[in-house]
Amino acid sequence: MQKNYFDRVHIWGATWNYLALLVMFIVPVGISVAYNSWPDLGVIGKVLATLIPLYWVTGIIEVVTYVPMLGAGGTYLSFVTGNISNLKLPCGLNAMENAKVRANSEEGEVISTIAIAVSSLTTTVIIAVGVLAFSPVLPKITADGSIFKAAFNNVLPALFGALGASYFVKHWKLGIAPILAGVIVLLFAPTLGVGILMFVTIVVSLVGAFIIYKDLWYDDLKAARAKKKQ
Amino acid sequence: MLENFKESPVMYGIAFSIIAFIFAQSLFFIIKSWKHGKKIGISKETLLNTITSSILFTVAPAVSILVTVIVLANALGLVLPWIRLTVIGNLAYETVAAETALGNLGGSLNQEITDVNQFSTVAWAMTIGSVFPLTFLPIVCKKLQTKIGGAVNKNEKTAKLGDVLSAAAFIGIISAFIARAIAGTNADDPTLNAGVASVCVLVVSIIAMLLLSFVCRKYKLSKMEPFAMPLSMFIGMGSAILLTRFLPDIAAITWR
Repeated sequence: MQKNYFDRVHIWGATWNYLALLVMFIVPVGISVAYNSWPDLGVIGKVLATLIPLYWVTGIIEVVTYVPMLGAGGTYLSFVTGNISNLKLPCGLNAMENAKVRANSEEGEVISTIAIAVSSLTTTVIIAVGVLAFSPVLPKITADGSIFKAAFNNVLPALFGALGASYFVKHWKLGIAPILAGVIVLLFAPTLGVGILMFVTIVVSLVGAFIIYKDLWYDDLKAARAKKKQ
Repeated sequence: MLENFKESPVMYGIAFSIIAFIFAQSLFFIIKSWKHGKKIGISKETLLNTITSSILFTVAPAVSILVTVIVLANALGLVLPWIRLTVIGNLAYETVAAETALGNLGGSLNQEITDVNQFSTVAWAMTIGSVFPLTFLPIVCKKLQTKIGGAVNKNEKTAKLGDVLSAAAFIGIISAFIARAIAGTNADDPTLNAGVASVCVLVVSIIAMLLLSFVCRKYKLSKMEPFAMPLSMFIGMGSAILLTRFLPDIAAITWR
């Protein structure tokens, strides 16, 4: 019974997933067709040469990380609607904790999927209403003389400061090396794009994690090697 | 028509069709999960609580996502960031994709895009760059759920390693933006280089988040916890307004 339900979720998830892939291409294709403006393939090639190593490697890491935490239905939905780490993941985990169910159980699968679907609907409604309400006043808010200009110039430090604070409290040891690495890289390459910088800081952070938390994997690795030799 | 290409009826039409798709997919999964939940004995009360708490949990982060739509709208208009932050969207991804594409075309996110070709290039870059997980997720999801799910839950040690590595990857992303606030430069507008304002906002938002989290824990205000992040962000942004208004000379100091 349990296996049947999980199998069905995978079939539904995969179907919606591939439909979403098609729907997503409506955006660039629609823009290019409507305005008769197709991008230069050379430029797109150059841009993707920068983006693909970062996005696609991160994509693999994210899939491997989130599936065990969110279950199948929740993961399929999350990857279509995005904002996973800052919204869908904590929302799904919070709902499973409130309902006292475990991820990867049938109950966990149901609760996580409902939580993430509801979160996707809520986000979509809030953004849509916000966008429609803000469109008349937006130019005034972000204009050069506006009092809010200074605030909007600093959204990224505000967002990543607030987001980082809770992570750094729990894992302060992990934060030091990647921030230092990022600052040092920027001192020597001040115009380096965020994409490459992020790749450097993620690698430094992961290497740091493996070194700092050696006790979590080294003994198992040694035992596995010893077993292989036998 | 090309004068208002960023907010034309075509763009709104695309946005509403994407929203319709997200609604259909989410409702499909809610209905299927609800029915199955009842079948396996999950109470109606638990299911309703899940819906209510998820709506409440989402409000504050969704408002912060809305802010990022507005930030990106400065250069890209409202509709494209709206679409991109509704599907796959994520501030870090979209900003990087748009900035990389514009950088190759001699533009920047700090300026309004007035060339339709730049706009279409940004849309293609954002889409192709981010769809990769959708191409292989259906192929690997089932295996991962059974194998890694089992392995991670195998013992406490592997579960902790999984948590640590996922936190490390996330900290890596955050660190890049923190490093930019401390030592970054802006090729198009040197007044936006790292300096007193960016570091002040960074520090104030970190302190605000730590204080608000502490207050929520201390006074057991668990319902307020989801609001701590967006509120800290607004407090950080507010500090930039105050600094610029009352100490404009100091706010303008940059060291890069």
